[in-house]
Order: sequence, then C-alpha cells, then structure tokens
Amino acid sequence: MRIENHPILEFKRTKKVKFYFDGKEVWGYEGESIAAALHALGIWEYREGLKTKRPRGLFCAIGHCSSCLMEVNGVPNTRICVTPVKEGIIVKKQLPKGDLVEKL
Amino acid sequence: MKNYDILIIGGGPAGISAALAASKFNLKVALFEEKETLGGQLVKQTHKFFGSKDESAGTRGIFIAQKLINDVNNKDNIDVYLNSMVLGYYEDGVVTALVKGKMEKFKPKKIVIATGAFEKSLPFENNDLPGVFGAGAVQTLMNVYGVLPGKEVLMVGSGNIGLIVSYQLAQAGVKVKGIVEISEKIGGYLVHASKVRRLGIPIYTKHTITKAIGENKVEGAIIENIETKEKKQISCDVICLATGLMPLSDIINQINCEMKYISELGGYVPVHDDNMKTTVENIFVAGDTAGIEEATAAMLEGELAGLYASYELTNIFDNRINEIKERLKEFRKTSSKVVSGLKKLNLYNDFTVNSQEDLGKLHRTGIPEKESIESNIPKENKRFAIIECYQKIPCNPCVSSCPTNAISMDSLNGIPKLDTNKCIGCGNCVAICPGLAIFVVDKESVLLPYEFLPLPNKGDIVEVVDREGKFLEKNIVLNVRKMKDKTNLIEVKVSKEHINNARHIRVVK
Repeated sequence: MRIENHPILEFKRTKKVKFYFDGKEVWGYEGESIAAALHALGIWEYREGLKTKRPRGLFCAIGHCSSCLMEVNGVPNTRICVTPVKEGIIVKKQLPKGDLVEKL
Repeated sequence: MKNYDILIIGGGPAGISAALAASKFNLKVALFEEKETLGGQLVKQTHKFFGSKDESAGTRGIFIAQKLINDVNNKDNIDVYLNSMVLGYYEDGVVTALVKGKMEKFKPKKIVIATGAFEKSLPFENNDLPGVFGAGAVQTLMNVYGVLPGKEVLMVGSGNIGLIVSYQLAQAGVKVKGIVEISEKIGGYLVHASKVRRLGIPIYTKHTITKAIGENKVEGAIIENIETKEKKQISCDVICLATGLMPLSDIINQINCEMKYISELGGYVPVHDDNMKTTVENIFVAGDTAGIEEATAAMLEGELAGLYASYELTNIFDNRINEIKERLKEFRKTSSKVVSGLKKLNLYNDFTVNSQEDLGKLHRTGIPEKESIESNIPKENKRFAIIECYQKIPCNPCVSSCPTNAISMDSLNGIPKLDTNKCIGCGNCVAICPGLAIFVVDKESVLLPYEFLPLPNKGDIVEVVDREGKFLEKNIVLNVRKMKDKTNLIEVKVSKEHINNARHIRVVK
C-alpha cells in the first residue's frame, strides 16, 4: 500500500528493484529501506521473539529498537529499517538469534 | 587519525545547528550521522512550526530540514560523515567510528553529542504484535517513503506527537479510529487537538489501552476507561504508540558523564550547565539527548553548544550565546514540565513559568466552550477573522502576517487579540497560522484552511462540517486559493445559522 497523491509531500520514486523475501521474489524502490518495501507489500512479520517465539515486526523504524532484525545476504541481525533495498538481495525471516557460523 | 576542532555526533536539527554555529569561526568541524541522510526526525515533520519568525515559525519542518541540510553542505569547513556510527570515546581523547563499514580514529578538541531520542513503549497485552508501531515509525513509513502504515489506526497518547501524527495519517488517507489519553486532559497543544477533532476523530481522555487483539498481526484493540473500568473494542490494523521519548544516551554513558534520572525530561539525562557542557571536560550535549523537548529547542541548544565550544577554542565570545539563552527562556515560558526538569539539574532556578489555566471543555475534548466561541463574534456585521486560539503557547506569526496591524499579542506566549475595526478579512493570518486556528467569516461564507486531497474546485458542492466533524449542510465552494506552502484557502458558502460552527469541509466524491 503506497501513497499515490499527498496534499503536502511529493515522493520521488526512482527505479524498481527486485529482491527476495523467504525465497519469494518481491520488489521495492531504490533508495528506500527494506522495511519500507516489505511493509508496502503487506509483509509485517520479520522475525521471531528470542524467548517468546512470537512474531515481531517494526517498532521504531530508525534503527534503535532491534525489533526488525533479519538475515540479509546471510548476515543475521541486520536492521532492515535502516538498510536500503538493493537489486537481488536475499532477505530471510530471522529465527531467534540468527546464525552466522552456518553460512561460513 | 584525523584531527578536528569540533566533532558532532548526530546529524539531526541539534547536530546540524551545532555544526553551522562552529563553522562561523572557521573551525574544522566533523558531523557524524549514522544513517544515509541528514536531518534526523525533522525530515518527517510536515506540520508548520510554532514560535516566532526567528525560529522559522509558520514553516513546515521538512522545509526547515532542507534549509539546514543545504547550509551544511555549502560549508567547506564541515566534513559530513554519513553512514558513520561513532563507537566510543577513549580517555586519551580519541573517538572511534565505523565509517561506511570501516573503523577509523579521530581526535577532536571538543565533542557535541546530539544523538536524539528513542521511542518509549507501553506495557499491555500483546504489545509485541506486528502492527504495534512507534509514532516515529509511522511517520517514517508515510512521510519519508510514502508507504501507508495501515488502513485503520488507533493512536495512543495525545501529546503533540500523537495529535500531529493523527492529523498526518488523515492527510495520507488513513482512518484514525481514535486517540487514547490516560489523563483527564489532552496533553498536546489544543489547536492540534481541534484540528483532529474537526476531522471527526474522537479523543478518549481517561482511557488506556489494555490489549492488542490479533494472532500474527494487530486486528483490534481493547481500551478501558480508567475510572469506570468500562471496556471498548476498536477494530484497527495499527496501534500507534505516541507515549513519549527517552534520551538516547549510550555514548554519553560510555564517556562517563554524570547522569541523572529526571522523568520530566524523559529519563536518564546528562547533567549539564546552561552552556550545554556536561560534567566531562570538552563534552557538550544538545537536543533531545539533553532532555526531551521539541525541534525548535533542539536547534537553539545545538547552536548554543556549537557557539560555546567554539568560544572555548577561539576565545571569541559571540553575543548570540546570551541571545539564545533568552530565546530558550521565552520558549519554555509555558512548559512547566521541561522547566521543572531543568530545575532538577540546578538550571532555571529563579525562573517562573506562566501558569496554564484549565481551559475546561477545550482541554478535555479539543472543542472550545460555547462562551469562548461566542466571545470571538463581534457585534458589527462585516467580514473579519475569528481566532480560535485560547491557549498560551509560544507562537506569533499571525501578528506579523496582518497588513493592517489588527492582531496584537503582549508577548510570544500571549493570546492573539483582534481589533475587528482594523481587520479587513484578507485571510493572511488564516494561511500562516501553524495551528490552523484562524478563519474568516463573512455574512454568508467561511474562509478556512484546507490541507487535504482532493482539493475542491470553485463551484463544487461540498459537505460543511462543525468542530467535531459533524455534518451541517451541503453548500457551494465560492473560491479556492492555492497556496505555495500547501495550506490552501477555501471559501465556502454557509447558511447564517451555521456560520459560527462551520469549521471544515469534506469533499464528497
């Protein structure tokens, strides 16, 4: 869901880029955060709570709260709210702590 | 290792203002910003700022941010480090930072910390569900990326952020189901409250949220009256928390500056003097990091910290330092909360705040008392402005906007008074008022500010609504003045009986 017309703001949208979310091809606009792109597509669940195993999504969207940590190109604990989308990146839902060792 | 005179941590309004102040002395300045862009939270603020002309009152936050960013980029002696996170400060004065993924060392003579704030959450059942977002997150999605946060939003908190973001949500086309406020009075500026009430958004005072409903996503909320314990279920896909901010003080803690818990300032704040100096030599703070206020105070504090740090380096005392201290005092004249916080830091000891009177119904509902409304209506039968601004807040752009000097105010924190004999009903004040609290009433028409889409055309039939967003009648648009700053002016025909209640229009599709 994106805002097409706004009474005050103009959104400069440039190139569309494709990337992957849990194996599915998704898209966003170049320059926006991974979180913004996923949110616009209605994808709001980004990881599982460390202890609760419950779904977690965005909270602060400015890189401070750690609620939206995901695995991006194999790197766990990536703050997707401050990480820009790039063509072809692989974004995966993070299970509790993520695993870097396995990838190496 | 790179040497700098002043290193500033945080590229928001406070940090930028500090950098610009220091650059005046030809000092070598480094400005560090963790993200890809400067401007901090100011780049999301689409509303017009209060204050006086000196503080860009009547200008939207986004435009203030643009100007600050341009100014920084045009200064040769400010090195801007984007995507660069400051990691730590060492006893030998070395600062380490991750600059675009690589660790680098810096040695500054002075440091200004302006790292801003962090959004507070609220304890209630299921508050971890996706769909429970901080107000800043909602603003980022819709005002930075143009992404709709959801379809239906319940706002929690009626401070300025809760009220402003509710209005912004409505502008983006999102339905705001209500604003929940635990105290008996609305927390933010009442002109902001009146703005959202006109849209038909209810404000539930003495209510709190007790539960978010939903399995994997928010589907609704339970709110409760804290006195009667009566519960109410509200369907929504987003619960937006505007329940306050906390200073972001990790780096200040690491430096070992003395901290103090001051709830009025948002939590742990660095102990500092009136020149923004902390208890550690050469370390200054500014903006929300130093105690939660708003962007205008942040810009003034940033400038003050930048000037004072420069003074310590150059021995040149800029008289603007004293001027800023006076401006800040004027700004804080009605902020009893901030001032009582500052007193706990041993600042503002002899300062007395103008007491805020209880504005009765207006404070509880966002709708003024009948008597206040009637006191505005002059006896003469002519075209004139109606100023629905009853609360003492630091704001005065209406005064200077008037071509006939019909509006007067005894101080920045005064209440505007209109001389109806001088008023020509031009509507300049309607266009400039940051609170959208001024209207021009004629015999059979009302001129009102309109910041929504679609914009009606002259001759269109629209719905005329009252201060609660309730339908009064359908009538014809007489004139549309498109304004550069996008607060357009609509003059709508209104029948006599509704003249004193018609305060907004709805365009029927």
